[in-house]
Amino acid sequence: MATRTSKARAPDATTLERMLYYLKLTREAEWRIDQVLYRQGKIVGGVYVGRGQEAIAVGSTIQLTPDDVVVPTHRDFSAFLIRGFSLREMFANWLGRADGPTRGRDGSLHFGDMRRGVVAIISHLGSWCPVACGVAMALKRRGQGNVALVFFGDGTSSEGDVHEAMNWAAVMKLPVVFMCNNNAFAYSTPAEKQFAVKSLAVRGPAYGMPGVSVDGNDVLAVYEAARQGIARARAGGGPSLIECKTFRMAGHSAHDAAEYVPEKLLRQWARKDPIVRLEKLLRARRILTRERIREMDQAIRKEIDEAVALAEASPLPEAASTPQGVHCGADCWWRKTSVVRSQQSVAGDHGPRATDNGR
Amino acid sequence: MKGEAFSSDLWTFDFQLSTVNRSGTRVLPKLTRAQHHDLYYYLRLNRRVDEQLVSLYRQGKVAGGVYSSLGQEAISVGAAYALQPQDVIGPMIRNVGAMLVRGYRPRDVFLQYLARQDGPTGGREANTHFGDLARGVIAPISMLGELVPVLAGVALAAKLRKEERVALTFVGDGATSTGQFHEGLNFAAVQKLPLIVIVENNGWAYSTPVEKQMAIRNIAERARGYGIPATIVDGNDVLKVYAATHVAADRARRGEGPTFMEAKTMRMKGHAEHDDARYMPKELVERWRRKDPLLRFEKYLAQKKLLTAAEKAALDARIENEIRADVAFAEGSAFPAPLDAAQPVWA
Repeated sequence: MATRTSKARAPDATTLERMLYYLKLTREAEWRIDQVLYRQGKIVGGVYVGRGQEAIAVGSTIQLTPDDVVVPTHRDFSAFLIRGFSLREMFANWLGRADGPTRGRDGSLHFGDMRRGVVAIISHLGSWCPVACGVAMALKRRGQGNVALVFFGDGTSSEGDVHEAMNWAAVMKLPVVFMCNNNAFAYSTPAEKQFAVKSLAVRGPAYGMPGVSVDGNDVLAVYEAARQGIARARAGGGPSLIECKTFRMAGHSAHDAAEYVPEKLLRQWARKDPIVRLEKLLRARRILTRERIREMDQAIRKEIDEAVALAEASPLPEAASTPQGVHCGADCWWRKTSVVRSQQSVAGDHGPRATDNGR
Repeated sequence: MKGEAFSSDLWTFDFQLSTVNRSGTRVLPKLTRAQHHDLYYYLRLNRRVDEQLVSLYRQGKVAGGVYSSLGQEAISVGAAYALQPQDVIGPMIRNVGAMLVRGYRPRDVFLQYLARQDGPTGGREANTHFGDLARGVIAPISMLGELVPVLAGVALAAKLRKEERVALTFVGDGATSTGQFHEGLNFAAVQKLPLIVIVENNGWAYSTPVEKQMAIRNIAERARGYGIPATIVDGNDVLKVYAATHVAADRARRGEGPTFMEAKTMRMKGHAEHDDARYMPKELVERWRRKDPLLRFEKYLAQKKLLTAAEKAALDARIENEIRADVAFAEGSAFPAPLDAAQPVWA
């Protein structure tokens, strides 16, 4: 698939600037999380960042419309931002605060909101792929041309659930775009020990869907491939597989020193940094000046400072509130929030169903 | 890839061509007259055991269901016959023929289906769910697709121990949609294991036709996603299945890794005897009846003068006698004592 694109379909200047903003915001926010807050002992739970891989979620998610749905992973911090989660909400979750999206009950990026079209991250690798298919089935039934965008890694690609999801999506011609983040390592397992093919794009046709491999550190290449996949899905053409080749610039997690990653590879990939490349391009095209970029950097730093301050000032959840939200009761907090009301409107309240048994 | 005898492109195997490997040695030995007779014997034995099981089922004597292998015998027999004694198979529900080739007798099958104490599972398991490592048979696992990672494990052991042992398993078209199939194949590919996976594409997974199972035309396409060489064979031609398996086993023994084989065939009846298969188009089944593997092989043997009428009659009679004797033996066998039910459950 060529990355050349007609002028009409290439991202316009506003979108390009927005993409740079999200790339930078993600990079800075994640840096604050794993290099500062984690080391200060302020993070509750595990820390997984997508350093170096930011272009994958940014280039694709930015093209979704409000009624589309994204099914992200830990490496897709920007997907949450683009879909409307605030930095404050996200830091509140990382810091386990009572006013975060999970009210301090789950950590890192394990949250979602169907009102904002984000399926909460499921820990079990690959198991969210059939979930994405379920979402796509609902979207297809609605018939409004909406799509589901789902991400998974090179390691996760070996999971049976991913196979079942891709096969199902192909047979049922579901409007789902599968984005494979091939960052060369699954914890300490290099891609050469994960599968015997050079590129996972070959798996697309193996299921009967188009498969393409792009430079995952080139946000424009990701954008174009995703644009085609999204367009295909909207037009009823079924699923696509897009392998984005990139590199995991941090360890598997903050507690992984990743000594098994060859220094040489890290240096090589540092030279292909997605943010540096987009900056260069925007400046060459005179879309942004050096000063404007500096302003953007300063604004981002300020945004993060403010969000972290707000989150740090938020209370931790009360220990006595622990059982709340585990089971749904009459006074379940979940029922009381606007999330349920908006979910009902999203799902379409058709009144009591035959299976409701009068409940 | 350097050093590989086969690329990972699809290739179609034609038995008429002699197959040579990279060093020019003929991989496929010519079958002797006696071996042709063996193949005929096992095909017919498979068919007759199957028919006998259906008869017992209709008499209400079978514990559980009967899943016929009618029309698919060439795959079980041809594949199993191409292996060596030290190899291991993981048969599935329609692979009684393979189990017979590996040394099980009709009486073992009847004792099992009739749930008798002296059967391979002591009357505790149903249909083909039995095995024996001494015969190189891993008992079928109900959960479709599970055998792929299990046989990959057998292959891994063989590789670690540096044995010239090949692991072979069968899956159906439906099973290729399972996550286990995927995980086992991917692992076998990346570890270059001596594993052969034969997909019996018989057109149906219960009532799901293959067109609703996957969006590809040939199941062999799936192998591309793993980097495994694949072949498509006529599953109703026992010699082609034999030849393809032999070549795959040779590859495996030489350390060249797994092979994926799609054998095209047709499920001639329902999913099981309790399935009236009303969803199967009759013309389709009739078309495949003309390609019956047993009939085809008989014709071939007659044409090539490899089996005289007298020889055939003798083999047929031998089979009838074996079956009659084994059914009688099984029907006369004791049931397990109910109080012993819990016995082999805990170690």
